Amino acid sequence: MSKENQTSEEIRSSGMKDDELVNKHVRLNQIKHEPTKGFLQAPLIFVFVFGCLIFVCSIQLAHTTNDFQLHPPKEIVELTPEEKEALRLDRKISSGEKIFAVRCASCHQGNGLGIAGQYPPLAGSKWATANPEIITNIILKGLKGEIVVKGETYGTSAAVNMAAVAINDREIANVVTYVRQAWGNDANEVFEDEVASTRAGSVEQQDQWTGDQLISMYPDSFSN
Amino acid sequence: MNNIFKFSIYIFLTLSFAWLAFVVGATNQYGDLEPTAESLEEDGSIPPDAELFPKSMAGIAQLGAKEYLSLGCATCHTQQVRSEEAGFDVERGWGKRPSVPRDYILQEEVLLGHNRVGPDLANVGMREYSSEWLHKHLFMPQSVVEGSICQPSPFLYEENKEASVDSIEITNGETNIFIKPSLRANRIVAYLESLHQNYELPEIAFSDILEEDQSVEIASAVAEPETIATAFPSWLSEQMESGKEIYMKVGAGGGLCYTCHQINGQGIPGAFPPLTGSDWVLGDKERLIKLSIHGLMGEIEVNGEKYNGVMAGFGIQAGGPPLNDQQIADVLTYIRNDWGNSASAISPEEVASVRNSVKDRAPNQMWTAAELQSNSSPD
Amino acid sequence: MKKNPEQEIDQSARFAFSFFVASAGLWLLAAALLAYIAAAKLTDPLFLSSLEFFTYGKIKVSQANAFVYGWGGNSIFAVSLWIIARLSQSLVRGSIFLIFAGAIWNLSITFGLLGILDGHMLGHELLEMPKQVWPALLVSYLIIAFIIFVVFRSRKQKVTIAPQWFIIAALIWFPCLFLFGWSGLELNPGRGTLQSILSIWFGQNVIWLWLTPVALGCAYYIIPSVLNRPIDKYYLAVFGFWCIAGLAPWSVVHHLEGGPVPMWVPAIGTVMSIAMVFPIAVASTNFHSTAFQDVSKVWNYLPLRFVIFGTLSYTISSYIGVIFSLPAVAKLTQFSIINEFHFNQRVYGFFSMIIFGIVYHILPQITGREIGTAAKNFHFWTSALGVFALLLAYLVGGLTHGVLGQQPSLAWATVIESVKPYFLITEYAFLILGFSQLVFVLNLWKVLVPNPFASSDRQANLKTA
Repeated sequence: MSKENQTSEEIRSSGMKDDELVNKHVRLNQIKHEPTKGFLQAPLIFVFVFGCLIFVCSIQLAHTTNDFQLHPPKEIVELTPEEKEALRLDRKISSGEKIFAVRCASCHQGNGLGIAGQYPPLAGSKWATANPEIITNIILKGLKGEIVVKGETYGTSAAVNMAAVAINDREIANVVTYVRQAWGNDANEVFEDEVASTRAGSVEQQDQWTGDQLISMYPDSFSN
Repeated sequence: MNNIFKFSIYIFLTLSFAWLAFVVGATNQYGDLEPTAESLEEDGSIPPDAELFPKSMAGIAQLGAKEYLSLGCATCHTQQVRSEEAGFDVERGWGKRPSVPRDYILQEEVLLGHNRVGPDLANVGMREYSSEWLHKHLFMPQSVVEGSICQPSPFLYEENKEASVDSIEITNGETNIFIKPSLRANRIVAYLESLHQNYELPEIAFSDILEEDQSVEIASAVAEPETIATAFPSWLSEQMESGKEIYMKVGAGGGLCYTCHQINGQGIPGAFPPLTGSDWVLGDKERLIKLSIHGLMGEIEVNGEKYNGVMAGFGIQAGGPPLNDQQIADVLTYIRNDWGNSASAISPEEVASVRNSVKDRAPNQMWTAAELQSNSSPD
Repeated sequence: MKKNPEQEIDQSARFAFSFFVASAGLWLLAAALLAYIAAAKLTDPLFLSSLEFFTYGKIKVSQANAFVYGWGGNSIFAVSLWIIARLSQSLVRGSIFLIFAGAIWNLSITFGLLGILDGHMLGHELLEMPKQVWPALLVSYLIIAFIIFVVFRSRKQKVTIAPQWFIIAALIWFPCLFLFGWSGLELNPGRGTLQSILSIWFGQNVIWLWLTPVALGCAYYIIPSVLNRPIDKYYLAVFGFWCIAGLAPWSVVHHLEGGPVPMWVPAIGTVMSIAMVFPIAVASTNFHSTAFQDVSKVWNYLPLRFVIFGTLSYTISSYIGVIFSLPAVAKLTQFSIINEFHFNQRVYGFFSMIIFGIVYHILPQITGREIGTAAKNFHFWTSALGVFALLLAYLVGGLTHGVLGQQPSLAWATVIESVKPYFLITEYAFLILGFSQLVFVLNLWKVLVPNPFASSDRQANLKTA
């Protein structure tokens, strides 16, 4: 132990005395640096790197300070009216798709074909693609009894019963638009205010609709 | 550098330049922000009668902020939604929009924080947590969020064996205890509930990332706060958890069960049969596995009520990709053990053997109730 | 025996130095205990959970304060006093005032920490101790700093050198910083997030402008002193010093990236953090190109080994810090436990290691008693292991935390689940560190408190030597 400590002490005592340390460094500071072989290149590289860094920093600063404004920049994306329209419809349809997946697909299936003999298809069905008020009404109040879809008869004992679930006009508009434009369906878009007026027009209907009732209300839709 | 006075002044100046910019400059820039309306008139004035935001907190919430601070909650929770370039806070659902300086002007304690061991709380009052849930979380976070490392604060509650007015029941293994929040706990919950940046400001609109996405938000929000009681052994709770996920899930690997049978397993009277207390669920395993593989159609009597409908099978190629044995086992185990149900778990091997026994059945040939009842062994 | 001037200076500083080092050691133990409790509470949230005194937040905050003001403050007083006295070649006078002020400082911190645990925390970073203790802290600080200044003023060589710049600057920075912070947070609090800017500016600057310069000053002193060769490329040191002085106070606010403050605040912070590569490069060049000329001495003389560990850690992790301040990376790591990495690398990996080294260098000279090599070695290796495990866990854990946290589809509980193993590693790391710090304090104890039974032995040794 003592031997090792001796080495510690030796190292320490072989070190510089403090006044010497101060004086040496003071002298170093006065002559700045001794000219050596690499003396010219080193500062040049240094200046170069420093310059690059200042350049990078100022670019970064200019890009990210937002002109020293308080409020974050408003994202102003200039879209043509057509692009805006496309974007709006796009969002509407994708929202409708999600609502459909959650609320409708368990019976009508994700491909809109329903289940033969049990749940009628939506793809290519006049009930969905003709007058949008029909499907809106069904969603609002439900449907019971037998209906004929694409030539097949479905007994709707497990009726569409969306009335039990809170769903607002905007969501109905979105999902109906989706149904009318998915799986090869090609019917027009439905808007929130149309759903609202359908809702207002059907307040007197207490029970679920029957197929005949709807056919008699919208005879044009089923005429051919 | 050799004159200490000059040196001190230089040293002081280096610091004070930064201070001038970050404190004096910033104060000058926005030290006098005032509440404002969600949108301004054309000329930049606040419309008459408009509601002004942000609103100051209720008194009890302000006291709650002090409790929140003194317990050190800000060590792990931030209260800031970062801008969209700086992070995915909005996508994560931590706010409808990034936070802006104006949101904080009326807060006495501004607890932005800079660590997120726990989730961000800038909008915790906007999420669908009941105050009961928040109390449970404060009392024992692990009772509502499994695996949470949040620190419990039982010292804020009075524990009882008996229920009393405004007490909250907590299931702790087999025993239930009732906790009564102290004034301080109520303050903290009031504070948390008051935290929301649920308004637009002239300088910031709601982020459009989340627009038109509400329906899915609802489904996931309902699925989140409830967790499965921790009384199960770990293998079972794993199965339960995965089963619950399948029960709730839309799309590939999901069963989409809850749209018909509902989140509470009660079904819809007259349309979709309940799963709670049903012999079809709790009884013969083989029958249950069969009907979930191929589906079920026609008339069926559940809990004394007649239903007539169709359920697509999950084990065969139908609407989407079929569930595998493990997934079917998980979801069936889940429905046999939630909502007060309690029955033995179903293992993937059992599903596999049943699947093997019906492998000759045509994929689109659903079972009928009558067929299944005659098949099932009377045990 | 006639004493040489250095021994006379040691003699004059002995009393105050021992007092400060002893209290620093005790605070270090307290901080280690608190750090372990905090880490254990993260792995098992039910640990000590029924006691309101010990919530995780309170423990964590009081650990940081005990570390920075208790251990950091006391050891800064001790080493600055000694280094300044030795470099000025002038005696320390007024030891009694130093002890008195030191006692007030320690008492105030004790009360402050008890205040935090009792629930009177303030919400500002590293300014969490209740407001009643701060005047006492400031007054005692000013007394101590004043006495060190008097020593510095009576220096023999009027031209100053690098260690003096760093230490004197740190001593001036802290009270200025405190007054700026105090005026803007408590006396005349700014509205809303103005407070947050100032809070983070203060908290980070305490580390950058108080702990860091003192540790750098120590390294600038001990390396040439022990190796008996002047600092290599010494002409860069002045540039490095003013770079830190000019850039550090600006760079610290990059932590607010994306937050509810005007965008220019974090933007300036980020740019200045990038520019910090210069002072880091300068310090690292100075230290390492000097030290690596005599590696065997660095390795064999343990205090120097501690210091070089510290400077290497400073270089490496400061560069990591620069990388993490870039916006693209900050997006991931900003609020993750990478912050713990930054804090712990600075206070453990850099500051504490250098202070350990310098204290081991000074103590034998002041007391005339050597510390057992085995004990020192043990302390070095446990510290190194603990720091390494801790920093690695926080770094990898922080990246995991940050990257997973940025995936909106993952539930938060899942994110935390994947960080848990790293919390467990940090718990063990803090256990190792606590153990090594216990060894440090025992080493101090053995040297500072003369052992009556060992004294005859020692004299016998001296005689044989």
